[in-house]
Amino acid sequence: MANKDMSILVVDDFPTMRRIVRSLLKELGFTNVEEAEDGQDALNKLSSGSFDFVVSDWNMPNLDGLEMLKQIRADSTLKDLPVLMVTAEAKKENIIAAAQAGANGYVVKPFTSATLEEKLNKIFDKLGM
Amino acid sequence: MSNETPSQDLPQESSDELVQRIGQLTRMLRESMRELGLDKEIEKAAEAIPDARDRLNYVATMTEQAAERSLNAIDRAQPLQDDLSTRAEALDKRWAEWFAEPQELDEARDLVQDTRGYLADVPKRTQATNQELLEIMMAQDFQDLTGQVIKKMMDVIREIEYQLVQVLIDAVPQGKAREDLQKRATNQWQTDERRREEGLLNGPQIKPEGENIVTGQDQVDDLLDELGF
Repeated sequence: MANKDMSILVVDDFPTMRRIVRSLLKELGFTNVEEAEDGQDALNKLSSGSFDFVVSDWNMPNLDGLEMLKQIRADSTLKDLPVLMVTAEAKKENIIAAAQAGANGYVVKPFTSATLEEKLNKIFDKLGM
Repeated sequence: MSNETPSQDLPQESSDELVQRIGQLTRMLRESMRELGLDKEIEKAAEAIPDARDRLNYVATMTEQAAERSLNAIDRAQPLQDDLSTRAEALDKRWAEWFAEPQELDEARDLVQDTRGYLADVPKRTQATNQELLEIMMAQDFQDLTGQVIKKMMDVIREIEYQLVQVLIDAVPQGKAREDLQKRATNQWQTDERRREEGLLNGPQIKPEGENIVTGQDQVDDLLDELGF
């Protein structure tokens, strides 16, 4: 079972969705959660803090989730950070692009709390977290 | 008929002439619009309208579903809460009676057992209520989805605006004023276009039957499996 104290960054430009994801994480026992409102904000927070996990939207102003993911994978200190995409983008090209860029999971909105839990656990298992 | 109010009726000949004149004007207008390319502009603007209608429809459906989902959850949670409070009140009343006039041990044992039974039941009930609260929270995800669709719709409206502005500009006599207007409209359009030309950013699918679109998490998982991720 994953360490419930792990610190998670939730990235989404819609405050409602950030609150929903945060509450779902809390429900699963993860209370160490911070929020960022776009990819750029997330990168700033990631570089100045120590995070164990990122849950990110795709379509955001300034820096979108895919660009952010690419920059995380290109950064020597962040490259191994697990990133779960939670997005409304539902085209096959999107899913393929996210996987190729190194996303650890892909949840399409609207999603259920069971789906989020399942995908999180899958990543934890795979990475031995 | 014609002999009743002859003064108000146009003579047959003159009415024919009028119809013909209107016909000619219409044809002239249509031809000059085509020459100026205005018919295409208007056509483009008109084509954007069904898309806007689809998007509005999506927003209406999503908000309705969210409201229904929340209200249903509330309908399920309220009886749970009512039951908890009714039973607590009944037990409290029995305890008050017992304290006022202590009874035989047997009767007291019943009361203690009922109270313990109730206490054991409370967490189950509150958990069920919590599930409903979670359901209400999840229903709020419509705000993100409709928000994205509304943003897309604003692009559509901008497109219509641009096409209509073009029509207006083309009606301004040639000269510096017209060139300035054209330049401003083009600049604005290019800024907007840059923002729009992002092939992977489409937001929620308003018509899931489209090509290359996954319709749910299962299909996402299948695709990723297929790709070996």
